[in-house]
Amino acid sequence: MKLKLCTLLAILGLASGATPAADIEGIARACNSCHGTGGVSVGLSMPSIAGLSESYLKNIMMEWKSGTRASANMTRLIKGYTDEEIAGVAAYYAKQPWKAQPQSAPADLLVKAKEATERCETCHGATGGQPDDADTPMLAGQWSRYLELELVKYRDEGFQMTHKKMIKNARKLEEGDVATAAKFYGAQSK
Amino acid sequence: MSKINRRDFIKIAAAASSVAALSFPSIARAGAKAKVVVIGGGYGGATAAKYVKMLDGNIDVTLIEPNPIYISCPLSNEVVVGHRDIGTLSIGYDGLKTRGVKILHDYVTGVDRARKVVNTQGGKTLPYDALVMSPGVEFRYVGIEGYNESMINDIPHAWKAGPQTLLLKKQLEAMPDGGKFVIVVPKGPFRCPPGPYERASLVANYFKHHGKTKSKVIILDANDSHSKKGLFNQAWAKMYGWEKEGLGTNGMIEWVKGAEGGAVTKLDAKTKTVSSDFIDVKADVLNIIPPHKAGKIAADTGLTGKEGNNFEQGWCKVEPMTMASALDPNVYVVGDACVAGEMALYGNPNAAFDMPKSAHIGMAQAKVAAAAIVAKVNGLPPPDPIYANTCFSIVGDNYGFSVAHLYRVQGGTFKYIKEGSGVSPMAMPDKSPVPDIYRKLEAEYADGWLRNVMADAFV
Repeated sequence: MKLKLCTLLAILGLASGATPAADIEGIARACNSCHGTGGVSVGLSMPSIAGLSESYLKNIMMEWKSGTRASANMTRLIKGYTDEEIAGVAAYYAKQPWKAQPQSAPADLLVKAKEATERCETCHGATGGQPDDADTPMLAGQWSRYLELELVKYRDEGFQMTHKKMIKNARKLEEGDVATAAKFYGAQSK
Repeated sequence: MSKINRRDFIKIAAAASSVAALSFPSIARAGAKAKVVVIGGGYGGATAAKYVKMLDGNIDVTLIEPNPIYISCPLSNEVVVGHRDIGTLSIGYDGLKTRGVKILHDYVTGVDRARKVVNTQGGKTLPYDALVMSPGVEFRYVGIEGYNESMINDIPHAWKAGPQTLLLKKQLEAMPDGGKFVIVVPKGPFRCPPGPYERASLVANYFKHHGKTKSKVIILDANDSHSKKGLFNQAWAKMYGWEKEGLGTNGMIEWVKGAEGGAVTKLDAKTKTVSSDFIDVKADVLNIIPPHKAGKIAADTGLTGKEGNNFEQGWCKVEPMTMASALDPNVYVVGDACVAGEMALYGNPNAAFDMPKSAHIGMAQAKVAAAAIVAKVNGLPPPDPIYANTCFSIVGDNYGFSVAHLYRVQGGTFKYIKEGSGVSPMAMPDKSPVPDIYRKLEAEYADGWLRNVMADAFV
């Protein structure tokens, strides 16, 4: 019985791994290690990816894979996955429920942030929770430390980001407003 | 949190395999819940228990672990130098209990593989349909004349996190300026391949910040190369005056390879002097990391390799598709106790084709084992496994880097996927230096990674 099964699996290309049907859930379980079980991160510098839009997740991974967008580490990892697997993983996490992380910010920071984040509203919505389109990520309730590091990336000329409008606007922020804007969006966790 | 339930998993597994019509023998007994027992509550065991329960809530899962609190080895070097409180590395088992995993704080005295039962010191006998063996490593206090286990309260290894970590911290703090902090590294494979060099970096960083700049960190290494060597040397040159390999250089960190006297064979415990054929070094703080083998229970259970096989001696060989022991299809060995990876190339110090003994890859193995167990219980073939690893090293203020590994199974064997693997860049593609932001980001990500791996395993 065992031998027969092995033979059959080999014919189907399953045991040989020729181009087996990707086990998307299995790949997602690997992503969970850094991004949290089910894509809900508990690490301040790591983004939650559960419930982000499929298009955003797929684009960012494909940009890392093609090398147009820099990352300190994702560019290395992502090249090991096929385009189909990347699309599958994006679709998988897009279907997981978004879970805002409760983070508080002092009242005076929130007032100050109103002005600092004015330029962000056009695309991300008033509290970062109503993105304009599927390619714009949700900010409300994302980890503020992660958001701050993303802004630092957009503002650093040595770090190759792709979204021209975002690069331009991130660099227009006052230095002191970077953390303020990040904390503001982190605190929009309702 | 995750919405995967048993029915989904089974549906997906069936679809992915496209052989749902084939009937795989189910291991569940008629009318009884399938039983999974997990030995060892570290990263590997906790992850296996959690993911089996998550993927199929009908399976009865018991995790056996003597200690009520687990202390993470990853990032414990930060505790040694006072950058992190050990509390941030400590976690209990309530998260797993909430998920329905039964936790038994007991010590396994034996496994009867013929009868498929686990016996404990507390007098329990637990039957299993599938056993996950995740005992971690046991140290072998051999190979250094004059050194034995009774000395670890004076000469700490700090290679299992906890009191040993705090002891090394205390010794570092008490060391006068101009002293020598000596790290003795065993022949690989050992857990956390970049760990000794991360430790050396952070100790040098401690010297810089505490006015002890005349002090030295000396690494006496039984091996002739090490993990992330180029990156470490580059960082050491930038921050700690690294010049070149060998003893007696001007930098704060000195590294002596095995071929040039790094392989320590003798200890004079009274004077904390370690010697090899070529050199003698008198330490102020002596940190000997003993050689490793698989945890005792794995050997007692008969799952470790035979004498005469260099790579498997003392370790457990596994089936690539499922992480089942090569010697018993009902026992799955995950974490540091197993050997896995592209074995044809294993043991080549310049090749990273063997799976590192890291928390992250232990979790990857545990997830593969969990999915294979759940599939088997439900009469399905195992899904295609993915083994991914990321190890961060923190080497200075706002300075970190990482190594990634990806393995798939092709033709029934482990295949290292070069395209999904590799270390942080040494230089940009146009040969210009790597901007500081890359190192800063990876130092930040190390903390985020830690919190997520701890939660993904234990909560």
